[in-house]
Amino acid sequence: MTSPFRFKSFRARILVFFLGLLVLVQAAVFISVNTASIKNARIQIDEALKITAGVFGRIMKEREARLLEAARLLSGDFAFKEAFGTRDHSTILSALDNHRMRIRADVMTLVSMDGEVIADTLNPEKISGEFGLKNLISSAEESEFGEAASVVFIEDRPYQMAVVPLLVPMPDAWICIGFLIDDRFVQELKALTQTQVSLLSNPQAGASVIASTLPLSEREALKAAFSADGPAQTEMELGGDKFVSFAVPISHGKDKVTALLQRSLDEALSPYKRLKSALILLFALGLALSVAGGVFMARTVTRPVRDLAAGVKRIYEGDYSEPVTVEQEDEIGRLASSFNHMLKGLIERDRVRSLLGKVVSSAIAEELLKKEIELGGEEREVTVLFSDLRGFTSLCERHTPQEILSFLNDYFTRISAVIEANGGVVDKYIGDAVMALFGAPLKNEDDAARAVRTAIGMREALKGLNAEFEAKGLPRLSLGVGVNTATVVAGNMGSITRLNYTVIGDGVNLASRLEGLSKKYGVDIIVSASTLALAPGFVYRELDIVRVKGKSEPVGIYEPVGETGAVDEAVVKEMESYHEGLKLYRERRWDLARERFRALREKSPLSLYAIYEERASGLIENPPPSEWDSTTVFHEK
Amino acid sequence: MLKKTGIILFAAFVAAFSSPAFAGSIEFSVNDGKSNPVADAVVYAVPRDGAPLSAPRKAVIDQVDKEFVGYVTPIEKGTAVSFPNHDKLRHHVYSFSEAKRFEIPLYTGTPANPVVFDKPGVVALGCNIHDWMSAYVFVSDTPHFSKASDAGRGRIENIPAGEYDVSVWHPKLKASSKPASVRVKVTDDGASKADLQVALQNVWRAWRAPVASGNGYR
Repeated sequence: MTSPFRFKSFRARILVFFLGLLVLVQAAVFISVNTASIKNARIQIDEALKITAGVFGRIMKEREARLLEAARLLSGDFAFKEAFGTRDHSTILSALDNHRMRIRADVMTLVSMDGEVIADTLNPEKISGEFGLKNLISSAEESEFGEAASVVFIEDRPYQMAVVPLLVPMPDAWICIGFLIDDRFVQELKALTQTQVSLLSNPQAGASVIASTLPLSEREALKAAFSADGPAQTEMELGGDKFVSFAVPISHGKDKVTALLQRSLDEALSPYKRLKSALILLFALGLALSVAGGVFMARTVTRPVRDLAAGVKRIYEGDYSEPVTVEQEDEIGRLASSFNHMLKGLIERDRVRSLLGKVVSSAIAEELLKKEIELGGEEREVTVLFSDLRGFTSLCERHTPQEILSFLNDYFTRISAVIEANGGVVDKYIGDAVMALFGAPLKNEDDAARAVRTAIGMREALKGLNAEFEAKGLPRLSLGVGVNTATVVAGNMGSITRLNYTVIGDGVNLASRLEGLSKKYGVDIIVSASTLALAPGFVYRELDIVRVKGKSEPVGIYEPVGETGAVDEAVVKEMESYHEGLKLYRERRWDLARERFRALREKSPLSLYAIYEERASGLIENPPPSEWDSTTVFHEK
Repeated sequence: MLKKTGIILFAAFVAAFSSPAFAGSIEFSVNDGKSNPVADAVVYAVPRDGAPLSAPRKAVIDQVDKEFVGYVTPIEKGTAVSFPNHDKLRHHVYSFSEAKRFEIPLYTGTPANPVVFDKPGVVALGCNIHDWMSAYVFVSDTPHFSKASDAGRGRIENIPAGEYDVSVWHPKLKASSKPASVRVKVTDDGASKADLQVALQNVWRAWRAPVASGNGYR
């Protein structure tokens, strides 16, 4: 299976590796910087918000202190006590208003110890009635010094309110004084702290924004995002901007008011955004440079490799013409140089092999190349075929050696083709003679039959060659072939520096003798009985039983006429008649035999019939001794 | 709390108007309901069958070291009170109380005319230039009254035998809880007892910074 990460090209691999590495490192840098930036911004915002919360609390305290101080002053103001002593509403109200304006407060109310309004600057007409801020008074009553301050709501508007007793010199009324909490207030806070400030009230029953520095459009979202019970620090999205928020409770109880201090994360991150774009630019630059550099490097590495690969491919395809040219002195260069050496060696070896195939048969060449070359051989059953040209000597007399060589090469080429086509091996050419082997160095089951078929094929090939010769006005050539199967020694013979693969043995000599005999019997091919026994698929004409020079055993000799079934009926009939005659001859009934051979001779040109007619005549005239065994003895070679 | 009690002057005039030997007395104690004695509580006895007013008397409320001497001064209706200033600076004594509204603008020494408190009730005294100076005059309808000691105890002397409603007042008396008066039978020989309980509340006063001669307070 091919993994998707496996690249076919080395170049791609190098590129992907280095680019991957770069991207990985850059991404790691980018991520860590980004993470650190955001973290840092958050920390800064957190700190700023905490400081702001402190400042905010402090400011609220200051305002409270101012209110209390102002109320205390009034409480000790003799003129006001006198005014109060008059119990005159207009005077008291006017005095309250006067004092209110001294410190730019937004409301002042005088309340009796029983909780009845005496005078109220917000409601100048009111001269009596219950005071609304009972809780405020209660907390003053419960406090150690009779003072209290809180954020309260008067007619749905928030006030920071303080209350102290009016001492004349015993407590005789409550002085209430307050600042309105509005957008102006939070804007002042914002100017001081650079923080968005929102005041939200009554959060349980759906928060409402009392005052805020946020634009109106974002206040609804603020209301929705705000949770009174959530943690002090939260994050919320307002107008597409992320805000870190810090909630500071500024009053408790029924009219719970919370100040929400907010800083924009995006704003805090803006310096980092510049860093981010710088990083991205650097990354892009680095990537581009890496791609270019990577491609260049990969090319310098892979081009010679590709050249080498192409060279190897050429050699695989048999083209040795071009060595690889790599002009580098690095590892690749050394590889190329080694490769070229190897190529030289290959060319050499191929030349040797091709030459060997020509000098010896290709099968023998293979055999030689395959094994360790050593002298010595093994016993094998081999069918040896000898062929010889007849009338070659007289041909030589009438032609120049060049022409002879040309004829011979023509002849050998065709003959060799037949031999090789039948799986035989040309062992050697000896003048106009050819020695061929079947069964060495390669063995086949039907080596004998292949040899016989080769012999017949050679006869046919010669017919074709003769037709060509005739057309050229050259004389016809005839052939003599001897085939014998025997156990011989096959192997390398000669010296260790110069040797031949060949076969040696009696059987080889016999094949050569049989070739020599063919002319005497007027036939092209003679096959020994041992070959016949191994190649039954042919029609044979029995020729004789002979004792050749150097061999004591008589040998039956035969002429293959053709493959079984491929021979004319007439020829078969004639052959049967001949074989009967031969039988009569061997039974010493020479008269009958002579008659038979004569009859055959008169019908057919075969010299064999004449030979036996003559032999029968000779035996009739000079009857042989009783030990006559019908074998023919040849003393000459 | 005012530690310096000063000279209790009214003992003198109580002795001056003392009745014949057959008169009785009421021994009282005042606590705040938590077993704490209530000092400066004014206990007064009103005869069930009405009693004639005694003759006009005089009282003095000194100013020493920028404080009124006597946090609470019970007097009988019609008493003329003088305000001698023993400090080397001026005081501006005033009251805006219903029972007696008056003002003695900046003065040294003893003002020429004492102030006559002719209406019963509570009069809160202050000094215009010393916010922390504060004292009370309890103007009683009856001549039978006395002030509790630091131990919350006291005795009303020279009371003719008869039945009395004994009540108590204190600056810190909780406005909402009117203390029940107790009925006491006074005989000619021996002292009757009255145990009174009051509920007190916080009463704030102006702050005084610590000074060499005394502790500051709030």
